[in-house]
Amino acid sequence: MNGSSLPPDSEGGEPSGSAVRFGASSSRDTGFSSGWETGAAQLVELITLCSRGHEEAFAELYDRTSQRIYGIILRVLRSPDHAAEVMQEVYVEVWRQSARYSRDKGSVIAWMTTMAHRRAVDRVRSVSSEVARDERYAFHGGDREIDQVWDGVEQRLDVERVRRGMASLTPIQREALTLAYFGGYTQSQVAQLLKLPLGTVKTRIRDGLIGLRDALGVEA
Amino acid sequence: MSEIHGAVGSYVVNALDPDEREEFEAHLAVCPTCTREVQEFCETAAELSLLASATSPPAALRSSILSAISEVRPLPPELLPPEPSAEIAPVQPSPPTAETAPADRPIDELALRRQQRHTRILSVLVAAVVAAALALGGVVYGLVQARQSQVAQQAAETELLTAPDVKTYTATMKDGGQVSFVVSRSLNRAMFVGKGLPAVGVDRTYQLWTLEGQRPIPDNTVPGGGDRKEFFRETLGGVTGLAVSVEAAGGAKQPNPSTIQVITELAA
Repeated sequence: MNGSSLPPDSEGGEPSGSAVRFGASSSRDTGFSSGWETGAAQLVELITLCSRGHEEAFAELYDRTSQRIYGIILRVLRSPDHAAEVMQEVYVEVWRQSARYSRDKGSVIAWMTTMAHRRAVDRVRSVSSEVARDERYAFHGGDREIDQVWDGVEQRLDVERVRRGMASLTPIQREALTLAYFGGYTQSQVAQLLKLPLGTVKTRIRDGLIGLRDALGVEA
Repeated sequence: MSEIHGAVGSYVVNALDPDEREEFEAHLAVCPTCTREVQEFCETAAELSLLASATSPPAALRSSILSAISEVRPLPPELLPPEPSAEIAPVQPSPPTAETAPADRPIDELALRRQQRHTRILSVLVAAVVAAALALGGVVYGLVQARQSQVAQQAAETELLTAPDVKTYTATMKDGGQVSFVVSRSLNRAMFVGKGLPAVGVDRTYQLWTLEGQRPIPDNTVPGGGDRKEFFRETLGGVTGLAVSVEAAGGAKQPNPSTIQVITELAA
């Protein structure tokens, strides 16, 4: 699932597999990499056009971001059927809300990712009884959660940066953050899974984000 | 560090249960530090999502989404009013529709609050009246503390909206426009409130009618397009219903049956 993920339409001149950030070219690119940096201004442009009803701009926004957004939705939900539905909800919402985006809310990709993650997690929680998400999987598979995340990723610079950032955290910070973010568990569930007090988990999640933020040098 | 403040990380990764989330959001609204941290963490979490690995969504999804959005109108931008000139104290503005509300909570919460505060007076009044009408079984008390420049109009509206027997009738017109009739029998007045009225062209107009039994009496006209409100000129003695039609500019003496948009019967 985590193999080379360049889309078929990456003829825009970006060397595949390299970590080159996409620059000012308007060509299609791999979309999922480093969207918040050099691509950020372009995404702002696209979202601005969306707010004026330009469907072509929306299509380009989709092409630039859909792998990344789908990636996180599928990661949380595991089910392609649910992921497709949430994906549709998210993008329709991005389109609807496009005029409500503003730079002072942060980057477009963070805005979209936040929306996608939130909806994916809501979906997990609303269907968890029906789908009977196997709690034991996670219970015994806390490590597996992390393995999955750590194993399959591409050797791309951005991913490497984030991996290094994650590696700089303490194991508990990393586990708590991973279970919460990728596993879609509540902090109480994470506490139970890790057999730690809730307060500790809460702090570890926040410290984990602080550590990661500082390691990545992310500016809001 | 207060305990609630410590939940900021869990909030951003959506690890709070609904009660905790609500509590945190209440805190967030008054804590600039947390607000800033939420925003920073959202950027960090977006980076973290890179580890989920990019996976191509099914090609069919792209066409499905693209065709879905072609039927959806992007919301208008939030308007920043010169100053918050009107406050509706006791009534919650109508909540955003359930399906869209949770979309983007972490980032957009503040914007949402701001927007709710700044919603134009018209929609606030309508929302307030409707909400209160629903809550109080059709009777609305002491809703409005409005300060507005158009004093006379505003005073009349306030009087109507705060009348003890005010009732709101809502309907969708044939052309899709949302209308409410705000009616007080004790004041003998009625107001038309249109939301998102379709444009009818410069040579045509919406026309209001009062109905006395089967007899339509022409009333004021209202231009199409956008949000409009207009008092009925007629008082309500003997009036059994209200109607709206689309007529040639200037209005008509008799409604054109084919262009009647809505007829609402009033309670006695």
